[in-house]
Amino acid sequence: MAPLKSLEAQYGILDSNFQSFCASNGIFTVEDFLLHDLSVLAAFAEQEPTSERLKEGITQVLSIIDRQHQPWLNGLQLLEDAQQNKHVLSTGFKGIDKLLEGGLREGQLTELVGPSSSGKTQLCLRVAANVAIQHKGRVIFLDTGNSFSPRRIEHFVRQISGSVFNEVMSNILCHSTFDIFSMFDVLHQLENSLKSQGHKGDCKARTLIVDSISSLITPILGGSGPQGHALMTSAGFLLKKLAHELNIAVLVTNHMVAGEGGNLKPALGESWKSIPHVRLLLSRDQGNKTCSISILKHPSLASGEVARFVIDD
Amino acid sequence: MEVCRLPLSATQRGKLISAGYTSLSSLSSASASDLARDLKISDGEALEILNVASRSSRSDNAEGSHAIINGGVPGIGKTQLGIQLAVNVQIPPHCGGLGGRAIYIDTEGSFMVERALQVAEACIEDMSEYSRFLRKDLQTFQVGLQSKDILENIYYFRVCSYTEQIALVNYLDKFITEHRDVKIVIIDSITFHFRQDFDDLALRTRVLSGMALKLMKVAKNFSLAVVLLNQVTTKHTEGSFQLGLALGDSWSHSCTNRVILYWNGNERCAYIDKSPSLRSASAPYSVTSRGIRNSTSNYKRVKMM
Repeated sequence: MAPLKSLEAQYGILDSNFQSFCASNGIFTVEDFLLHDLSVLAAFAEQEPTSERLKEGITQVLSIIDRQHQPWLNGLQLLEDAQQNKHVLSTGFKGIDKLLEGGLREGQLTELVGPSSSGKTQLCLRVAANVAIQHKGRVIFLDTGNSFSPRRIEHFVRQISGSVFNEVMSNILCHSTFDIFSMFDVLHQLENSLKSQGHKGDCKARTLIVDSISSLITPILGGSGPQGHALMTSAGFLLKKLAHELNIAVLVTNHMVAGEGGNLKPALGESWKSIPHVRLLLSRDQGNKTCSISILKHPSLASGEVARFVIDD
Repeated sequence: MEVCRLPLSATQRGKLISAGYTSLSSLSSASASDLARDLKISDGEALEILNVASRSSRSDNAEGSHAIINGGVPGIGKTQLGIQLAVNVQIPPHCGGLGGRAIYIDTEGSFMVERALQVAEACIEDMSEYSRFLRKDLQTFQVGLQSKDILENIYYFRVCSYTEQIALVNYLDKFITEHRDVKIVIIDSITFHFRQDFDDLALRTRVLSGMALKLMKVAKNFSLAVVLLNQVTTKHTEGSFQLGLALGDSWSHSCTNRVILYWNGNERCAYIDKSPSLRSASAPYSVTSRGIRNSTSNYKRVKMM
């Protein structure tokens, strides 16, 4: 929110006298206003010679704040939104679709976690190809490990639809990011460009894939400050916000680290666990092409269910 | 607070927040002189902060191969493979190569110059024989490259501690911008300085994953291959021994491709363990006086898994 100075142009009551009064109470922005105890502020205002004007100023700022938050929605409106805007996207694997009762849902953040080489990237590539063809949607692929393979996408597209169309390939947009700040940049740009795009007839963005988000977060998590944690939580919230406001399905991948007793556990720690809506665990049978996927967490399905699928050559 | 998402130092961030600039929109409407006055910093610093806030990322369109590979047990030939790659990248385009230079980062001191010379000379001989065979004429074809040129085209760095290694990886970007014909970066071996005497394991994970990201960026931006050589350790799980990479699961995640070198009886083999586009397969190879060559055993075919 803007510092109080910039509101002066629009609301004359918030003049320099008001601003210096606020500054003497440690208030520089509208946010600071929210954090401050308003009755104490009003009491201070009483003691000033221009108390009436100051109190008017306080009321003005409060009314500006009231206009900032999202409108209240009731259950029926949420249901309508879910039915009309939040479609379910098939992943292209019958087993996984059956497990997830349809597939990936728009508006939800889905996490794929698994040990190295368990098929996470392959699954992401296949989902991208499927969404581009079957759902005629645009896919944005953020690649942090140079593992996006156009050849593999072409192979999957050929498998699904028999031939490769240029339009399908051009609907899968891949961008490389190598640090968390540039990911935030890309996501903000995406937010702005997709919001202004509105509803175009062709190729609305339907899926955002980040492979893998844990590579971006691991270098900053832990250590001397809480900055890393804050950035991780911030990233999670931004992804969920994009999912909800732009009606897209967001898919991220995470790796595993050593846990207790020599078992593996998902990376990124305890705070990350509550961030994704859906968490799926992937594993590959040794020396085999069959992978298993099971639900760790889902808002409407029981966890522990397992499905198997094969990534073809 | 959106300002927390900008790559600024902690002091700058603190100053911005206490002066009331908590969102990007507040920064976009501020001028450098206002910012300098409010934060009590110089105009130059204020301008820098505004640039960071308004910079938009451009997508890179670099194409090309950028693989990161890891390797196997001691004695299997990892360093030999590294030396062979450093020589092979220099094969000129008219002989089917890339004609580029190599960066060799040696952490263990295992690079032998005499061996590199041997491999280089063998490579030149093979190239002339190959082009003579192609052209089918009796003139001796001048490959145009001599073994000492090949050695000159290998940029060799020796690192003796993990801090040197981190500094060097950070410096790579600048170095390669100045030497644009580098087509391969070989690090032998990436985890050597992190295995013993590194007490803080959490710090180790952070540093290594950060290093991996920087190497990925270099590979992507300059369209080159980054090859990391690593050792394996044995893990005891439920009574059976499993080969795993040194530095474990979080490091395994950090590379794009993984090739494991192992012994199959008396024969050396390479196996693709992780790749976004290649299927799992293994191929035998041998280490000869002329370098790495195909195995001359009965198993000439590549075995698909």
